[in-house]
Amino acid sequence: MERVIRLYVLAAIGLVFVLSVAMFSKDRRKNGVAFLLGWCVPGLGHLFLGRWKKAVFFFLTLGATYLFGLWLTGFRTVGFDDNPFYYVGQFGSGMTTLLASVLGKEKAFPRPDLSLGLYDPGLLYVCVAGLLNLVVAFNCFDFKGAPEAAPPAKEEAAK
Amino acid sequence: MNSILDLLLYVPITLVILSVLEACKQDDPKKIVRRTALNFGALTAVLLIGCVVIFFVNKYF
Repeated sequence: MERVIRLYVLAAIGLVFVLSVAMFSKDRRKNGVAFLLGWCVPGLGHLFLGRWKKAVFFFLTLGATYLFGLWLTGFRTVGFDDNPFYYVGQFGSGMTTLLASVLGKEKAFPRPDLSLGLYDPGLLYVCVAGLLNLVVAFNCFDFKGAPEAAPPAKEEAAK
Repeated sequence: MNSILDLLLYVPITLVILSVLEACKQDDPKKIVRRTALNFGALTAVLLIGCVVIFFVNKYF
């Protein structure tokens, strides 16, 4: 079951890549590449589009959330048996989850030195970081490549 | 004890979610902080009012 879901996720990412190359115009292709970069590493897509402030913000917040979740679950990603919904949600984090999956670092477990009540929030943190990263990656399609510090067009036109 | 821990963990995850969603919508950092704080306040107020209502429903009905 886990392998099937993993294949579906990879197929979906591949589909977005193919669509971005085949269907979008030349300037929108950049957004497709940014989506893929953003899926791999939080904020990398925004950095690619020249929005470095947002990139740093997303990298720090999502990275910290993901790491905190992993710390609570013994530095293991969520397995399908732990929670199927959280398992699917964490794939928004991209490369880190797939890498852990390939290296066999799956199946989270409650840490013996922490309260058992922290185990479930740990899974939630990992899942939320993944889902938010997906939102951030899709946000790359909103930009048309304009840099962050572009001068306001209205003032220029008034002069 | 567990429920208190859950409550403590509610604050950072909610702030992260709200701030990231707000940062996706706009560029101005001040606006992001203000709207995140506003939404967090509203969400927490709804949660607290819900808790109070459930408490009284359980107590008197």
